[in-house]
Amino acid sequence: MTKREIAYQAALLFIIGAVVYLVAVTTQENLARLGVDSSIDFLWKRAGFEIGQALIPFNAESTIARAFVVALLNTLLLAGVSIVCASVLGVIIGLARLSDNWLVARLATAYIEIFRNIPSLLQIFFWYFVVLRTLPRSDESIEFFNCIFLNNRGLFVPALSLGQGWEWIVAALFLGWAMIYFLRRQERRRHGTPGFNRAETTGTNPLASWNLLFLAGAVGVVILVSGAQWDIPREARFGYRGGIVMMPEFLSLVVGLSMYNATYIGEIVRSGFTSLPRGQTEAAASLGLPRHLTIRLVLFPQALRVIIPPLTTVYLNLFKSTSLAAAIAYPEVVSVFVGTVNNLVGQPVFIMAITMAVYVFISLCIALFLNWYNRKIALTVAS
Amino acid sequence: MHKLPYLTAIVLLFYTSLPVANAGTLEEVRERGKLRCGIVESSPGFSSVNDAGQRVGFDIDHCKTISAAVFGEIRVEYVPVTPHTVFTLLQSGGIDIFPGGATWSFIRDVSLGLDYTGVYLYAGQGFVVRKDAGVRSVKDLDGATICIAQGTTLEQNIADYFNDRGMSYTPITFADMDKGLQAYHADRCDAFTNERMSTAGRIARWPDRDEHLILEEVISKEPFGALVRQDDPRWRDIALWSFNVRIAAEELGINQENVDDVRENTRNAEIQRLLGLHGEFGEKLGLSNDWAYHIIKLVGNYNDLWERNFIPLGVRRGLNASWKDGGLHSALPFR
Repeated sequence: MTKREIAYQAALLFIIGAVVYLVAVTTQENLARLGVDSSIDFLWKRAGFEIGQALIPFNAESTIARAFVVALLNTLLLAGVSIVCASVLGVIIGLARLSDNWLVARLATAYIEIFRNIPSLLQIFFWYFVVLRTLPRSDESIEFFNCIFLNNRGLFVPALSLGQGWEWIVAALFLGWAMIYFLRRQERRRHGTPGFNRAETTGTNPLASWNLLFLAGAVGVVILVSGAQWDIPREARFGYRGGIVMMPEFLSLVVGLSMYNATYIGEIVRSGFTSLPRGQTEAAASLGLPRHLTIRLVLFPQALRVIIPPLTTVYLNLFKSTSLAAAIAYPEVVSVFVGTVNNLVGQPVFIMAITMAVYVFISLCIALFLNWYNRKIALTVAS
Repeated sequence: MHKLPYLTAIVLLFYTSLPVANAGTLEEVRERGKLRCGIVESSPGFSSVNDAGQRVGFDIDHCKTISAAVFGEIRVEYVPVTPHTVFTLLQSGGIDIFPGGATWSFIRDVSLGLDYTGVYLYAGQGFVVRKDAGVRSVKDLDGATICIAQGTTLEQNIADYFNDRGMSYTPITFADMDKGLQAYHADRCDAFTNERMSTAGRIARWPDRDEHLILEEVISKEPFGALVRQDDPRWRDIALWSFNVRIAAEELGINQENVDDVRENTRNAEIQRLLGLHGEFGEKLGLSNDWAYHIIKLVGNYNDLWERNFIPLGVRRGLNASWKDGGLHSALPFR
């Protein structure tokens, strides 16, 4: 870099810094002149409101900071479940579009063209009111095995409530599992990397199945030793109580966000597969690999390298659009913090700043993770 | 709707980061030639658009009241606001006044940099339930799922009420009152809670209105006052006394119809001062002396407002009657 270039960049940095500083100072001054409190002490005050879905204990006596955590967990839960569903659906749609079956391919195309071209907020409203209007009332619930109930108040499933000391048992089991994993890795190192041998990928590796068996047994031990009980939803004065409730808001958001974003993922998957030379498929066929193994072992790992970078963008978009949930009463960050809490304490500057910072932070984490994953697969597969 | 937070943030940064000149609001409004009045859209009785495409309602009449006092005619720019944006818009000068149903509470008054201008409506938080649910009072709602709208003190009121009595409920909290009502209508909730009168206004047109019941009980007092910025006491006085004109007019027997007649023939000294025949009260506020006359002529007294906006919805005055009729509205004296 020449001296002049450095000077230009320094000047630019200075101007940006000055603008940010001026905005911050005048904002502070104006707020002070208007007599608006500006400190984040409000975070430690009593919330005084209830939240419809809380993954950690919360009530009106809790602090506003805790309300924020509750809302953030709700956001993460929604984003996590939607990302998984959208990915599964997206891969299916993408592969279906490439299918040799004319009808399947056309149906997948139609699906993408329809759902990609409707704003996701509209889709969410649509699913929400479809869910509410089509599901039966509480007293006419759809029952499965007498313990799962579906009605317009949500999906009620039994919850496993564990007895005392279950954390320790879980911790011990986790430790055991970690040791097995470690031993297995050493084993692998001694005998060399198994790679894509048929035995491992189809799950007949004795060590792999032993692992699974151990896990199943472990869960059983936890349930027995800790004296766990099933908490089955039962009918109360107003609808069902107990168990785990999946709110209709949550269900319709998962459906809406997954179906919308699956269209993009489908197209990305398709582009990933079509980017591979035809020789790959032909080589796999000449080795006698059946179609599903060709996709799984030959095409998919290579396509992933093309798929991951644009997929990051879709995941980021999906994560950010969980804020649409505020429109249909799912208690996520925007609804609880920018809505309820802002109304309560009237400090929009801080509340917006905190909320935006959280979105930026989590988005960066998602991007970093996928970039790391991208580097990882690029190295191992390309060798 | 989903862009709301970002938009709010932009509006907010934009306004609060501009150096604000300390000119009086009255001068600003005069110079602009229009009053910027914040309103909540589509709340029958309070703020709606009639068949002729004009904005009508109780809140709209408050905007007109201030405009009549300042300009002697109706020159209002209605700025639709949401609970998310209203405080910021007021603080930053984006609107001059907000007469759209803000409850006068301690925290809001002392910590938002805003001032209330008297109580123009005594409202209360009530519940609407389905008749077949067998709910006759709020106490029957223990364990119920309740649809709520954000934006007021509603969420705290209900938490306080239920916790005090050891009752539980599941809140389904909507950003927007209409979405909350729709969800209740679709049987998402056992009850919907909001300010009783605005709820009555909204459900009046439901085809199955008869299957729903608005409980008589209210769980909170919601005294509504118009909000202005705190740093302009003159502007607050103008708003407070303009609203007071309508209550005084009712007490003194002056209404929209007879105001010209009264102005010509009255011998009552207070009426003469009110209507600007002497005393120069308007000038003391920086207005013209016939400011109160314009308010009564163009908007009417408090009863005129009520007859126009709430009687068609079947809502009686109740607590909002004049103190002479056992209500809570009592005019401050013009002397």
